[in-house]
Amino acid sequence: MDTVLSKGVFSHFGLLEVQARNRLIRPQQSSRVKELKAEVAALKIKREQLKAEIQTHKTLQKLRLSVDKQSIDKEVEEMEEEFADTELLKLMAKHSHIKDLIYAHHLLGGYNIIKTNNDKAVCVSLATAYEGFYLDTYNLEIDLRSVLRISHHNIPPFIPLNSLAEQSNIQTDVKAFLELLSLHLNAYAGRKQQLKLVKEQFKSVEVMESNTLCTLLVLMFTASTKRTPVLCTLDYSDHTKSLPTRVLFECEDSDLPNSPEWKEHCSLLMETPVHKALMILRNVGDII
Amino acid sequence: MDDKSKQLLQRVIRRIPIQTLKATLEKWGRLTAAQQQSIDFTQSKRALTDTVIDICEENQLSMKHITELEMINVIDSPNQSMWHALQLIDPGDDAQTVEFIQFKKQFKSHLVELVRHVSIKIKKHTDEAIWIRIAWGDSYTRPNHMKPTYAVHHLQTPYVFVTTLTSKQKPLLSQALLLSTQYQTIKEANLSGRKLTAIRDLLMKQYQQMFPNSFPSLLTETKENVPDPHKVHEQAGTASTRGRLACETFGRGALPQIETTVYKLDTKYKDPTNQTMSERSRPFKCVVKFESKNLLESLRHCATSGIVSTPVAQLLSSIPKKGRNFFYVTDTDAASSSQRPASQV
Repeated sequence: MDTVLSKGVFSHFGLLEVQARNRLIRPQQSSRVKELKAEVAALKIKREQLKAEIQTHKTLQKLRLSVDKQSIDKEVEEMEEEFADTELLKLMAKHSHIKDLIYAHHLLGGYNIIKTNNDKAVCVSLATAYEGFYLDTYNLEIDLRSVLRISHHNIPPFIPLNSLAEQSNIQTDVKAFLELLSLHLNAYAGRKQQLKLVKEQFKSVEVMESNTLCTLLVLMFTASTKRTPVLCTLDYSDHTKSLPTRVLFECEDSDLPNSPEWKEHCSLLMETPVHKALMILRNVGDII
Repeated sequence: MDDKSKQLLQRVIRRIPIQTLKATLEKWGRLTAAQQQSIDFTQSKRALTDTVIDICEENQLSMKHITELEMINVIDSPNQSMWHALQLIDPGDDAQTVEFIQFKKQFKSHLVELVRHVSIKIKKHTDEAIWIRIAWGDSYTRPNHMKPTYAVHHLQTPYVFVTTLTSKQKPLLSQALLLSTQYQTIKEANLSGRKLTAIRDLLMKQYQQMFPNSFPSLLTETKENVPDPHKVHEQAGTASTRGRLACETFGRGALPQIETTVYKLDTKYKDPTNQTMSERSRPFKCVVKFESKNLLESLRHCATSGIVSTPVAQLLSSIPKKGRNFFYVTDTDAASSSQRPASQV
């Protein structure tokens, strides 16, 4: 009261006004404080969540590493004491491992490939097959340096490896090179197999000429009409195919090759593999 | 039959061992069945030779027929002469499509263009090998049939194997080969030996090679079939690694029978214990020659048993990898390591 008397009534009024105002503001501040406290609590929960996620990822990675090294069971035993849900984690680790493997396999074009020589080289395996039977397997060792180089291979010398490598630009696109090489090798294996089957199954057909790459085949068979010998030349100028690009018949009787049925035989030999075509011709009775 | 033909016939029959003489004469087919029957193969070689010469005279056979016989003999037993390998480089666009008849015609015409008097015989064997027999003459002399050159080539492969070839004949043969096979250059492959099959298999990689992705269990199968549970093989791991590396370098199973390999060294002598030799400024020249009945198998065994360290040094692994058995080794730089003159191979 003394202050009121000394300072004046208006100043007292001012003081009272300020006090009243303060009483209004204070509840807002506490709600603000409550808000902040709530936020802090939420952030703490999130932090705990993230921590848990990191932990899961770490264990997952450990499990992945052990799956890669194929020693998962030992690791799992160690983990089991610490965490529940190890079964789930194990499955997740395996799943991601397999996904990565499939992706790598897809990148390489599906060839069997392994790392060698302290990861400085890779060894690619190319299998050849014809009509459902596996034939020879060829291997290539490629050095992974700044310039890719084929260091060791067992591909026969009549397949032009170096020119294929240049053609498909092995430095930038290994997959294309492997595909082209695989085409050549499979076509060669197919032609070789056809020749082998012709020799085995058709004793009456004589192979007059062939070559190591099996791109030229000259056969002699006897036509059943008039029993004339017919010389058949099969030219495989496309080395990536196992079907001929040109078929030529030669006969003493010059009318025979021009007759419509023999022209059909010509197209038959161009569309079906040799041994099957000869079987058809024999069954139809056109050759002996 | 003139003297030269008789001489050649004598030499050819002398070369053919008695066991195979009958079969070879039959294959030749120039004697009638009656004549074949009349030959007594139990005689001495000399008497046999005379008998055959008489029969050939009866049939009036000429030099051409006798060269046929010689060719049959060489094709059947090629391991009597010394063969050298040549490599064709830079194929032209048509090199892959050259076929036998075309090659034969072209080779004959080119060689006859280059050498006026030359006698060429070309024959294709069942394994797609082309055998060429060349008797060289020159502008003034007739072909000399006593010193023929044989060449073997597989079409679409870049290798040619030749026997005796003088320095004058080599460029002529090379030229004819390049033109008929559509390649640009020909060079020495630095591989020679008596066994044609061996050097051919080595160059064309016809032996069983092993790659890192072959199943490793195949190696251990060949060793003890039943591991004794009471025995612990202390160095099993290192031994199997050595074996694997040895097989990867040299191959598995039977290897081509290379018999010699020669290293011609022209390197600086480096030995810290021998001052006098190391101080010489001129390089130390020496020739190292390895000889064996089957050199590659011996080297593989050395690697498997640990005598040679694995991975196999480049000097040794170059024999199968590069397909050569003659190496000229020089220093690449002044600071090469001692005793091991590895470098320019």
